[in-house]
Amino acid sequence: MKQRTDRILVVGFVATLFLVGITFFLLPVQRFSELENRYLQSAPQLTWDNLLSHTYAEEAESFVTDHFPFRAKWVWVKSAMEQMRLQQENNGIYKGKDGYLFEKFEAPDHNKFQQYTAAVKRFADKNAEAKTTFLLAPTSVGFYNERLPWLAPVYSQAEVNQTIAEDVGDSLTFINGFNVLAPHAAEDIYYRTDHHWTTYGAYLAYVTYAKSMGWLPLSQSEFEIETVSDSFLGSYHTRSQFIGVAPDSIQVYKPVHDVSTKMHIVDTGETLTSMYDPSYLEKKDKYSYFLGGVHALMKITSQLDPKVVKQEKLLVIKDSYAHSVIPFLAQHVPEIHVIDIRYYNGSISDYMAQNDIKDVLMLFNTATFVDNASILKLN
Amino acid sequence: MVFSSLLFLFLFLPAVLALYYVSPWRIKNLILFLSSLVFYAWGEPVYIVIMLLSTITDYGFGLLLSRPKLTKVQRKWIVVSSMVINLGLLSYFKYADFLIQNVNELLGTHIPLTDLPLPIGISFYTFQSMSYIIDVYRGTAKAQRNWIDFGTFVALFPQLVAGPIVQYNTIAEQLRARSVDIPMFAEGVRRFIIGLAKKVLLANNIGLLWHTISSSNLDSMPALTAWIGIIAFAFQIYFDFSGYSDMAIGLGLMLGFRFNENFNKPYISQSITDFWRRWHISLSSWFRDYVYIPLGGNRRGLGIQVRNILIVWLLTGIWHGASWNFLLWGLYFGVILIFEKWWGLKLLSRLPRWTRHLYAIVLILIGWVLFAFEELPLVLSYLQAMLGFNAQPLWDTTTLYFTYTNAILLVVLTLASVPLKLFKRMDDRTIPSLIWYGVLFFLSVAYLVDATFNPFLYFRF
Repeated sequence: MKQRTDRILVVGFVATLFLVGITFFLLPVQRFSELENRYLQSAPQLTWDNLLSHTYAEEAESFVTDHFPFRAKWVWVKSAMEQMRLQQENNGIYKGKDGYLFEKFEAPDHNKFQQYTAAVKRFADKNAEAKTTFLLAPTSVGFYNERLPWLAPVYSQAEVNQTIAEDVGDSLTFINGFNVLAPHAAEDIYYRTDHHWTTYGAYLAYVTYAKSMGWLPLSQSEFEIETVSDSFLGSYHTRSQFIGVAPDSIQVYKPVHDVSTKMHIVDTGETLTSMYDPSYLEKKDKYSYFLGGVHALMKITSQLDPKVVKQEKLLVIKDSYAHSVIPFLAQHVPEIHVIDIRYYNGSISDYMAQNDIKDVLMLFNTATFVDNASILKLN
Repeated sequence: MVFSSLLFLFLFLPAVLALYYVSPWRIKNLILFLSSLVFYAWGEPVYIVIMLLSTITDYGFGLLLSRPKLTKVQRKWIVVSSMVINLGLLSYFKYADFLIQNVNELLGTHIPLTDLPLPIGISFYTFQSMSYIIDVYRGTAKAQRNWIDFGTFVALFPQLVAGPIVQYNTIAEQLRARSVDIPMFAEGVRRFIIGLAKKVLLANNIGLLWHTISSSNLDSMPALTAWIGIIAFAFQIYFDFSGYSDMAIGLGLMLGFRFNENFNKPYISQSITDFWRRWHISLSSWFRDYVYIPLGGNRRGLGIQVRNILIVWLLTGIWHGASWNFLLWGLYFGVILIFEKWWGLKLLSRLPRWTRHLYAIVLILIGWVLFAFEELPLVLSYLQAMLGFNAQPLWDTTTLYFTYTNAILLVVLTLASVPLKLFKRMDDRTIPSLIWYGVLFFLSVAYLVDATFNPFLYFRF
């Protein structure tokens, strides 16, 4: 009996090592992982340079881990175990109440984000002839303290927003996202499984911005609200792989009086006739449905009735929170320039001068803003 | 390469086992030597030269020592040359920058740093290599004539990068002849899985708690959070290190070697003397056999013994890293050990068992604070937080959050740190135990895969 269990253990162990190893070689090499939304490591090249510089070893390790058989299932097992041992977070994501997942928000580096704030202020001062508006939206963790796991620590985004508001002072128009969203806290303004706001949240931000610009915002009844996906498991879910999380749905607000819009992506030279890319609804990264994801520079032109147009041009400097807001803005401004400051490396002041831009909207969420050194490229 | 990687587990290890077991006996050591070189070169493609250099010189010195008709003085010179080369290499790569920095600060000079990365495992293999030369010099081992066997001894991949430090005389016989049967291999598998689970399931997870606590603001840290933090670190370092030793011992068994134990439930110690008999045994016995006893140990009077203890513990401290905090850490234990030798142990023996235990644990934990932070101001801030000198409340809601989200893990860690009757009674060779090892291995792989799970979320952009 004892001999037999030893034999089973030895055979089982060695066979497992071999079988997994062989399966690894038999499974096809995948280029892209939908789940992780990135290109996987390709097979390493065996050259002297690669060997001596340690590149070969590193790439081989990544190659093996990226192509490990049944990778997603293993990740699921770990997540299940973590939940069973009462851990309320996995890979930096809290499992909150009411089906909400949240990204941890820790005390930001005050020195750094005050530098970023100073950069915004300097930019507004330098371009004093333009009207700059800065809309800073909280992320869901800043907004729903009561939905966090019991006693989970979180740093107050409201405090951060307040500090930033005080620092930018009168140089520009500051819209604090907390004030915009607070009256609607009970509604679905954030995705439960993703780090973005919902189209409704974006709509609320648009209304506030429109009013501050003196435009007449469209009411909800002037849109046909359509659900384009009800199987959206967003980035928080991707990272945490928590079990038993219900997917979100994605709404699109289609204006009843449709206007024709062209979206020119300068990075690729493409011109599209829609601000939505339905192909993303079939993929993991469904939020890229809005504007087709991230681009360094875009120009969106709409055929608006010249009589209602109060403003010809607008520059939006943004993170991805703006992607679901911009379609609303296109109902008011015939020419919108959109810069993603992480990928755009030119001088923004020069760009404004060349294109004769007099209005700027900076739209970021608090979590991005405090942790994004590329904002220093403003000046 | 590390044992707790998927590439090692599912490609390297099966390949080595296959090669090793299909080869005839006379080339088995060669197979081990070559695969150990691959294992090492994987992490250090360039510095492998240093390891080979140290191996070849000591092989040569060993042969020299074995020549008959050498005078005593000649033999001494051979040993001294070997020590100079080994310690020279170790010092150059490990301690040169530390020395230069301190000289620069002290004298205001501007000697440039070497900025060399530390070759993996150099502290371990130079110590093994030195043990060989000293053993041959003392006549407790015969010089190894076969260079493959000697290379295998130094480079043997199970213990190459993180110990246990194998003394030559304990393994010389096994290099020449050894055998594996099913029970021995099975014992190795069990030992390896236990080690892997300790590292991947226990150490890594409690390490996250330590990371969170140690990187938060120390000035506003409640005392209990600081204590939970250092307890987390104590568990992390023990399960990480002893897990690695278990894996090494397990791999050794699968290949027919029996290495000495490196840990023996250190956290049940009832004094610091006891602790150092249970913690990193292969290192403390190395220093005992090759430094403390040759210096005269305790046989040459009180003064000499105090000196010897201090020397050994300063060396033990600096062995762990080239930084003042490690030196201080060694000194700290040296002083406690001296105290225990003369009054402490007698005093302790009159106290109830739980006070002895508490005494040892508190001193060990304070030691870990010295060990964990390389910058001394941080050590002081952390100790202040632990003692409540930073004028913070005893605990806050975050303390509670850390506690309840890690409660189960902390219970498991505690149970795994003490000898349990349940496990003693559990026969390793029954069906339930088979399932137990299977589950541990399965979960370890899941956690390993997850650690490399790296979704690209064009976060916020």
